[in-house]
Amino acid sequence: MTAFALEGVGLVRRYGGFTALDDVSLRLEPGEIRGLIGPNGAGKSTLMDTLCGRGGSTGGRVVLKGRDISGLSAEARRRAGLARSFQKTNIFPALTVKEQVALAARAAETDNTDEVLDALGLSHLARHRAADIAYGDQRRLDLALALVGRPSVLLLDEPAAGLSIKESIVLARLLKDLAGSWNVTVLLVEHDMEVIFTVSDRITVLNLGKVLAEGTREEIRANPEVVRAYLGSSVS
Amino acid sequence: MSGVVSPRGSAVPAPAVAPAARVPRFLAAAALAAAAGFAVPLVVSSQLALTLMTQAVIYAILAISIGFLIRQNGLTSFGHAAFFGMAAYLLALNGKFGAISAELVVLAAVALPAVLAFLVGLVIVRLPALSFSMLTLAGAQSLHELMLRWRELANGDDGMPVRLPSTLFGVDIDVFQSPSSMFVVCWVALVGVVALLTLLAGSHFGVLTVAIRENEERARYVGYRTVVPRALVFALSGAIGGLAGVLFALYNGFVTPGALHWSLSGEGLIMAVIGGTHTIWGPALGAVIFFIVKNAAGDLTEHWPAIIGTTLIVVTVLVPQGISGLVARFTARAAAGKP
Repeated sequence: MTAFALEGVGLVRRYGGFTALDDVSLRLEPGEIRGLIGPNGAGKSTLMDTLCGRGGSTGGRVVLKGRDISGLSAEARRRAGLARSFQKTNIFPALTVKEQVALAARAAETDNTDEVLDALGLSHLARHRAADIAYGDQRRLDLALALVGRPSVLLLDEPAAGLSIKESIVLARLLKDLAGSWNVTVLLVEHDMEVIFTVSDRITVLNLGKVLAEGTREEIRANPEVVRAYLGSSVS
Repeated sequence: MSGVVSPRGSAVPAPAVAPAARVPRFLAAAALAAAAGFAVPLVVSSQLALTLMTQAVIYAILAISIGFLIRQNGLTSFGHAAFFGMAAYLLALNGKFGAISAELVVLAAVALPAVLAFLVGLVIVRLPALSFSMLTLAGAQSLHELMLRWRELANGDDGMPVRLPSTLFGVDIDVFQSPSSMFVVCWVALVGVVALLTLLAGSHFGVLTVAIRENEERARYVGYRTVVPRALVFALSGAIGGLAGVLFALYNGFVTPGALHWSLSGEGLIMAVIGGTHTIWGPALGAVIFFIVKNAAGDLTEHWPAIIGTTLIVVTVLVPQGISGLVARFTARAAAGKP
């Protein structure tokens, strides 16, 4: 039996009396791009945090390529092949673009710095400090830090946040190409439905900390519960 | 790799010189700088001036240890006199009790602050910056009180002599106590410290610790453990503070609780801030400026600390990068051919 690229099994996260994740399970096939959508407060970022080991977990298991990584720290999960990017740009402002990607490559015990810089169109900025480059370039640098070492699974939390529509579409296509050519499984949280429906193979919808629906783009578009809870009339 | 973190706001790309190509050039420059120290006693005949310069260099090493901690960890120590005074008292106490050889105690006086800083650092580098600063202050003041109150051990406020054998590491002890030769010893130590830290700052460890300082969470999410590197920076900083304390004890031959007092930590910090911590050598420049202002102002008024304070305010407001940041910016502009 082929192991799933990433499994979250019965994940629970509570903050005092509030349950942010309530017995959430999801399985990602190798090479799949999975969109994760839902209204604000649905638990999307909490699910990302729980999967990558940020802030601990109240219950459930995280399994990466058949290996239970629930007890591993965030840095150990990254070394095991589970990478993530953040909702807010999360880079090292004082370091040059190349310095920080090389640093991440060393942690991943690989040397694909130049390949990643090239793939993300950052080669010409290699010697510039990250603080001095444009916002869109910083977003791609954030992505580069996550992609270096070709992780088996990449958790992307709103990579297109703050980008223009044109930049978002370019990023979405880039993501799809990279995921395909580097065989990276992606779990993508994004509010931009254009991006989600462009790149996702399947989509999971969260609402109030629970899985509301899961299916292909067409199934999600046609799901009346999803339309009522989240999509409304914004997606035809 | 840039090696030196560029001042904020600079849009100038880091130089594209390969690190491997830069190292021999850098070491040659360091050797030249160290050799230049030998010429100073030949040029400066005044023993008073040489004494002041020797003291300035010793405090420059202390300031560098504080500046390195700020530069690499983003943490401010208010208690670095603990490492300085601990090393000085180790030499004095060993002279009193004769427990181990003088050579061994000199090495121990550098190693002990490092080990202590590492172990304490494993806990306190995790804390918010303000808590870290307050704990370093509390630790240093505790040591100060211990040496002050335990008269049977350290003779309290009266201080204690540093008894040394006639030779140290095969060198006549007079070399360490005469201003003209001790200046050279301290200068070579200073150049060695700057060279070591500059190479370290340009290494993987240096870049990693700056990355952790900038964004510890991101460093963890690219796969690094972040506490041990930060504790190692604190340990190295403690060792350099200890080295300054050793040189101080050897030169002065006497140590008082003042070597552990918060005011010494504060002076070291002021030197680091005036000189700037964006470069390794900035705090040393700050120490020189501190001594010049202190002595020039001291001739004019007994309220010279007010002039130091004013200097600190002016630098903090007008040149937040410190004087070395200003120098680095002008140098970068000159190298780029800009007016």
